[in-house]
Amino acid sequence: MPENNLNLTLHVWRQNGQGSKGKMVEYKADDISTDMSFLEMLDVVNESLIKDGEDPIAFDSDCREGICGTCGMVIDGVAHGPERATTVCQLHMRHFNNGDKIYIEPFRAKGFPVIKDLVVDRTSFDNIIKAGGYISANTGSAPDANEILIPKDVADRAMDSAACIGCGACVAACPNASASLFTSAKISHLAVLPQGKPESQSRVVSMVQQMDSEGFGSCSNHGECEAVCPKEISISNIARMRREYFKALVGK
Amino acid sequence: MAIDANIPSGSLDEKWTKYKSNVKLVSPANKRKYNVIVVGTGLAGASASASLAELGYNIKTFCIQDSPRRAHSVAAQGGINAAKNYQNDGDSIWRLFYDTIKGGDYRSREANVHRLSEISANIIDQCTAQGVPFAREYSGLLANRSFGGVQVSRTFYARGQTGQQLLLGAYSALMRQVNTGKVDLFANREMLDLVVIDGKARGIVCRNLLTGEIESYSADAVILATGGYGNVFYLSTNGQNSNVTAAWRCYKKGAYFANPCFTQIHPTCIPVSGDYQSKLTLMSEGLRNDGRAWVPKSGDDKRPPSEIPDEDRDYYLERKYPAFGNLVPRDIASRAAKAVCDEGRGVGETGLSVYLDFKTAIERQGEDVIRDRYGNLFDMYERITGENPYNVPMRIYPAVHYCMGGLWVDYGLMSNVPGLFVLGEANFSDHGANRLGASALMQGLADGYFVIPYTIGEYLAGAELKEVSTENSEFSQSENEVTNKINRLFDIKGDKTVAEFHRELGRLVWEYVGMSRSKEGLNKAIDEISKLRDEFWNNLKIPGDQNMFNKYLEMAGRVADFFELAEVMARDALEREESCGGHFREDHQTPEGEALRDDENYTHVSLWEYNGKDKPNFKKEDLNFENVTPTTRSYK
Amino acid sequence: MSAKSKGLSSVGKKLINGLTGLGLVFFVIVHLGGNLTLFSSNPDLFNSYAKKLHDLGFLLYAAEIGLLAVFIFHIVSAISVYMSKRKARAYGYHMKGNAGGASRKSISSVSMIYTGIILMAFIIWHVISLKFGPGIDQGYTTVLKGETARDLHKLVYEYFANPFNVSVYVIVMVLLGFHLRHGFWSAFQSLGANHPKYTPVINTTGYILAIVLAAGFLLIPIWIFINTGGGV
Repeated sequence: MPENNLNLTLHVWRQNGQGSKGKMVEYKADDISTDMSFLEMLDVVNESLIKDGEDPIAFDSDCREGICGTCGMVIDGVAHGPERATTVCQLHMRHFNNGDKIYIEPFRAKGFPVIKDLVVDRTSFDNIIKAGGYISANTGSAPDANEILIPKDVADRAMDSAACIGCGACVAACPNASASLFTSAKISHLAVLPQGKPESQSRVVSMVQQMDSEGFGSCSNHGECEAVCPKEISISNIARMRREYFKALVGK
Repeated sequence: MAIDANIPSGSLDEKWTKYKSNVKLVSPANKRKYNVIVVGTGLAGASASASLAELGYNIKTFCIQDSPRRAHSVAAQGGINAAKNYQNDGDSIWRLFYDTIKGGDYRSREANVHRLSEISANIIDQCTAQGVPFAREYSGLLANRSFGGVQVSRTFYARGQTGQQLLLGAYSALMRQVNTGKVDLFANREMLDLVVIDGKARGIVCRNLLTGEIESYSADAVILATGGYGNVFYLSTNGQNSNVTAAWRCYKKGAYFANPCFTQIHPTCIPVSGDYQSKLTLMSEGLRNDGRAWVPKSGDDKRPPSEIPDEDRDYYLERKYPAFGNLVPRDIASRAAKAVCDEGRGVGETGLSVYLDFKTAIERQGEDVIRDRYGNLFDMYERITGENPYNVPMRIYPAVHYCMGGLWVDYGLMSNVPGLFVLGEANFSDHGANRLGASALMQGLADGYFVIPYTIGEYLAGAELKEVSTENSEFSQSENEVTNKINRLFDIKGDKTVAEFHRELGRLVWEYVGMSRSKEGLNKAIDEISKLRDEFWNNLKIPGDQNMFNKYLEMAGRVADFFELAEVMARDALEREESCGGHFREDHQTPEGEALRDDENYTHVSLWEYNGKDKPNFKKEDLNFENVTPTTRSYK
Repeated sequence: MSAKSKGLSSVGKKLINGLTGLGLVFFVIVHLGGNLTLFSSNPDLFNSYAKKLHDLGFLLYAAEIGLLAVFIFHIVSAISVYMSKRKARAYGYHMKGNAGGASRKSISSVSMIYTGIILMAFIIWHVISLKFGPGIDQGYTTVLKGETARDLHKLVYEYFANPFNVSVYVIVMVLLGFHLRHGFWSAFQSLGANHPKYTPVINTTGYILAIVLAAGFLLIPIWIFINTGGGV
């Protein structure tokens, strides 16, 4: 075993689905290269579980380059683990020490029911977008792209908000399990752009309403969401959502 | 038998206009009577679902991910091409067309590529209207950059996340239609069979990945937008879920697979660090604008890079291609890196990487300039490797990135199975033997937003479609086949995991059907792949059971199909006795080691038709170049 | 679709909570301003301040009802936020952690509901013992400009001669500081006021306000306690 390799103890949440009760189970992860990503470490643990005839740990991932938003788990109490602006697929084992005990849990929220072990159902996020996270521009009806002038700083601000990958870490990290950062990022992205303005009032009302009905908590401005967000989306988006909502309240 | 691509008559620049004017229309009242299935929600699938629903069709959309927003289009970084000529630098529809044809090494259809080029400008308009935050100049006008070695700035981008932003635009349009009820969305579904009734595609059978249930859905047409098959190499820049299964099941139902050996290897990826590696990460090829590729002159030179003086370094791209240097096209840069590693001069622990050095650029322009240009990429590199590229040269190696090959389609994007349409990377249509940078996003959206809404109408209005439902026996037959296959996989109860098989398959494909290919190697590959496949079917071990979320079962089904595809890829590469684009045959090269194309014998699309035997039927679609004259690419 | 017809959303609750919170901060500042007169050796200063308020008559009642309403809205919206949180994560984490960095999560932010409930209980006690405490009828009388008035000064001085009362006040005022530490900037955030330049200013102001208000309020009982000779 190369001298830098790690021997770790994992405490992993195992749960067979929503109906069944889950529990933390201890696993050994030995001879882990520091060049592995966290998910590759779990791959290795699973390979040996399969060989031993045990049920491998269920977790989900797709692009493994931090952009699709599929992966996500809470590592030692922090969504996506200890590195800032990093999804768990981009978290590497060199940030851990030999002998570490690592607690691995799913994103916990009523709006994210557990499918199995570390895999949760985030359909609630799609439902929030469905409620109004779009500009109603039918294909073929668009004017020339340069007919809409958008100042660079406005485009940059829209992009800052649009960078959200919909992973759900904000919900997982929020002491209130609120989906405000996710919802507000889409509302802000569309509200700052001139194309998005005509629908901005109805959009914010529908999306907030949907967010509430999915069972997410209210926001208490802890800001933990911004701190775990792999794309560093700012809670100023949440403030904008409230401004937009206020405008809709006092508006028509 | 000659294959007819149904290309409209007339001059090149009139074909699409004429097609649109003459296309059969489905009246608005009738559109709501048609049901269309769309499989996949990447750029092509999401844009097609949204656009068709807007027209009034009833759409059922399926995706393998837990949300349509996660389709692998999301990972595209660089940008999207469009012949807008906003920069007044001489771009035009013709030039984009010409660049694409030439970049594809004259192995694509003129008519398709020209249409793509015509449509490109509309895509930017549409996406902007949807709120895609493209980069802007201080004037408020759209910004462009030049990309992939072309001479004009025609690439639109949204930071390094263009694919994500375009996909989110298409996704939001799709979700809007889900909200109106015109689209039924089925996430966490994997298509496992195409149902063909009376010779027409009439539905699909899929597995619910959360519950394991096998489900049937019927429709009047099926649109496949399921992406590429790069994961046949095990390691690629594709996502973990990217696979060939949906396309492969269509192949097994009679759809032709075209040019499977045309795969693109991207030169600037982060190298493999160990056996556990699950994925390769691409870094924008823009890095080659300032980075210099080198390896030590001697394979025995194990000094750290900073201690190797210039005279002991081989800047091999600058040496071999003095005119283009580090900016040669993707295929050439990739092969050159492989060549020096094969000579034993590769660097890093595995010996499978080359240096990409920014020292000269930092000295000349200052670290701040370099940081401004590549800061994000450098951070990403450091996150993954733990090395700081400002101080130590980056290490890079080529990786599989894109598949030009795919299911064969005609001009209307319909496969040879009537009613089965194939869009985006899943089809073979527009990129020939090599794809230009920033053109994949363009093609996916062109197909989905602007082509399929016309061409599907032409089919539906003309086809005689009898009533079918999932009660038809063809559906239960398909369901049985799918269930049996899953049972067979579970019943093997062997010792090796699916990842072990996939890794071994990947090594074979990479070694023999990768960056450079030879007759002997390909024959060996066919042999070895088939042996490994036998072992797979006799010694596979799948954990858990099928009635629940089970990643390893999903992977097993996909790897089973990759085995079959790999063999056909090797056969295709063997059949094509020339080098072109991403396909390099060692036995077909110039004395200087460059690709040697054979226009006389190979100006065609190779089609493979499943026949139940070891060797599928081979067919050709001849390519006619009426508007451009094939020339030899030279970057010396 | 109108926002009004849809009942109160989570965002609506935050708007109310933030607005009422700022109202209460304003009230507390004014309250402390008046109370500063207690530091004076002249009891008339405090008593005439109290009398002036009392003489407002109907206006005072209206203001008091308004203040009560603000309190109630603040409390109800806060409790409703808290309840939604309990429902939104029925099963908590085995290992709890803080992300640090940009996070504003702190003892102060996670204890808002507890400091809030304690403050509420305290205020009820405070109002009963002082505002509705013994008055003219019980002999707490003074003469201001020839008029008989309630000698609230005497009551307060007696009240804070008691070490128990002083301790409770000191502790609760520290908790008020914690509540304001998160509450002040959070109220702005809840109202949608977040700005790269001004938010740091608001945040610092919140810090300072928390310290000044807590210190101001807790120094009064301590000062009185010491001045009355450290107990009865």
